[in-house]
Amino acid sequence: MSTVGIIANPVSGKDIRRLVAHGSVFDNQEKVRIVRRMLMGLAQVGVRRVVYMPDYYAIVERAGRGCQASVDATAINMHMENSQDDSTRAASLMADGGATCLIVLGGDGTCRAVAKGTTRVPLLPISTGTNNVFPWMVEASIAGLAAGLIATGRVPADEGTYRSSCLEVLFDDVVRDIALVDVAVYRDTFIASRAIWDLEKVSQIFMTRCRPDSIGLSAIGGQLRTILPEQHAGLHLCLGGDHRRVTAAIAPGLFQSVPVKSEVLMQVGEMIAVADSPCVLALDGEREVEVGRGGRVLIRLSESGPQVVDVRRTMDCAQKLGVFVHL
Amino acid sequence: MSIDKEKMIQMFATMTRIRQFETKLQEFFAAGKIPGFVHLYIGEEAVATGACATLRDQDYITSTHRGHGHLIAKGGDLKRMMAEIFGKRTGYCKGKGGSMHIADVELGILGANGIVGGGGPIANGAALASKYRGNDRVVVCFFGDGASNQGTTQEALNLASAWRLPVVFVNENNGYGISCPTCKSMAVADIADRAAAYDIPGVVVDGNDVTAVYEAVGEAVKRARTGDGPSLIECKTYRWRGHFEGDACVYRDDCELEDWVKKDPIPRFEKKLQAEGILSVEKAEAIRKAIAAELDAAIAFAEQSPLPEASEILEDVYA
Repeated sequence: MSTVGIIANPVSGKDIRRLVAHGSVFDNQEKVRIVRRMLMGLAQVGVRRVVYMPDYYAIVERAGRGCQASVDATAINMHMENSQDDSTRAASLMADGGATCLIVLGGDGTCRAVAKGTTRVPLLPISTGTNNVFPWMVEASIAGLAAGLIATGRVPADEGTYRSSCLEVLFDDVVRDIALVDVAVYRDTFIASRAIWDLEKVSQIFMTRCRPDSIGLSAIGGQLRTILPEQHAGLHLCLGGDHRRVTAAIAPGLFQSVPVKSEVLMQVGEMIAVADSPCVLALDGEREVEVGRGGRVLIRLSESGPQVVDVRRTMDCAQKLGVFVHL
Repeated sequence: MSIDKEKMIQMFATMTRIRQFETKLQEFFAAGKIPGFVHLYIGEEAVATGACATLRDQDYITSTHRGHGHLIAKGGDLKRMMAEIFGKRTGYCKGKGGSMHIADVELGILGANGIVGGGGPIANGAALASKYRGNDRVVVCFFGDGASNQGTTQEALNLASAWRLPVVFVNENNGYGISCPTCKSMAVADIADRAAAYDIPGVVVDGNDVTAVYEAVGEAVKRARTGDGPSLIECKTYRWRGHFEGDACVYRDDCELEDWVKKDPIPRFEKKLQAEGILSVEKAEAIRKAIAAELDAAIAFAEQSPLPEASEILEDVYA
């Protein structure tokens, strides 16, 4: 029997970017409604078993109470620390427990936490965060169908998914952390409220993807190049200088004109040094990693990011296979 | 985060001052030396410290029944605070108010408050006065998770937004309203979610990280001061002691407290300041000793001060 894992982050969409920018408000009740629609989609394509990460708002339990989806939903047995490590451990436990697809509700930061737990199991990320470059802005009913189609094998994984890239953060040649979308070098020593909105302190940005219609730090690169999510390439920007500026939406409703000194494409396996120390590295838009004075840190592009369910490709494939057509 | 080194050391000292003050009160209460109730702030020091560090001397705060930390962070006089808690005539309320009624208008402290949810309307009043007078004073309204369920708090949030008042509502969500966990008393888990109903920004921060509180409240204060109206900052934290001294805390597990003690905001900040070369081990120790001496002086002052006379009982009664 196919098992789908659900990781719904109760904290996503509540950080300081509601104050310094115009980030959307994703209250947890909306997440409940999203999961409810998703469960209906999963049930529709024959998924009968769901495991989920418990959380303080009981998002999945509340969702299950409000719909008649014929799905057996069970919380995984884990100690909650109410930190992003919960998502990492939940993903790892779900992969070990045989889940064949994971659905994640959150923003880029949540997806990163899940990817730290596993990249073995196909991931369908649904946007409920602030900067949503990695996850899909998608109707949850359809996301439920797509996840179920991949989980049950009714759509082959190689037809409906792609393998994403990631950026590895190496301290003394050992991988300490990863980012799925971007790494920013922030000339400060405090993590504080995590988000980044003061670009004057950013000296370098590394990214796995960028498009002109993107949001967040990768939007800066997106005005110069396009790297699609399924492409295994990266971009490294050095900020500063005075010969050109790029205007981009670095957070919802927050536009900044950013000086860009240079942009260089990165190949898989290529490593570029972090030029400042001490500093803080922002991973997928959130200050995460402190680098001490004299710290030697490298950023490496890897092609071993999570396998991502592409909702449109999955549904296109289902159409070709006539999955929802009955004679 | 733009914050100079001197201010960071001050914030460390403020948190330490609050911790030592509360720890002394804990000892005195257990020894039966304090009349009335005290509600201690141990574990939550980063919230008051980070929030008040963003304010100017002329700005205001409203406080709660758990107010010692707020008062100290806004510059309250330890001698007069201690004397008041001891019920002495030299205290802030001449010994007749106790822990929950300390105010110092000169310092912008508009009062601790024994009424849960009592601070919101007072904060709005002060903010309206600031707006009416055309000065740029800001009010920080501290309130707990229990107070967030009170009508007064919701009314205050609504009116502050409708009138674009310069108030920053700083919620201290320590997980319990008296003995009732928030999961049993609230339909939502994050108080910041309620901000959307009033069209104001609502933000959740780690209330045990003084820099996170400072940064979020600082942005909200900036917004309020420039006329953009109120904000709601929810600081997730935990009180180490019971609701009041003497509370046996039978409603919560010891392991829950142990998890939060590991997140103690003071050593966490001290360690970071030492790693950054901002505060040496010796300097930190010197700060602790200086504060201990300051407290000894406050305690001696309180102990040596006279009790109010019975004949004074009707003085300062306004209603």
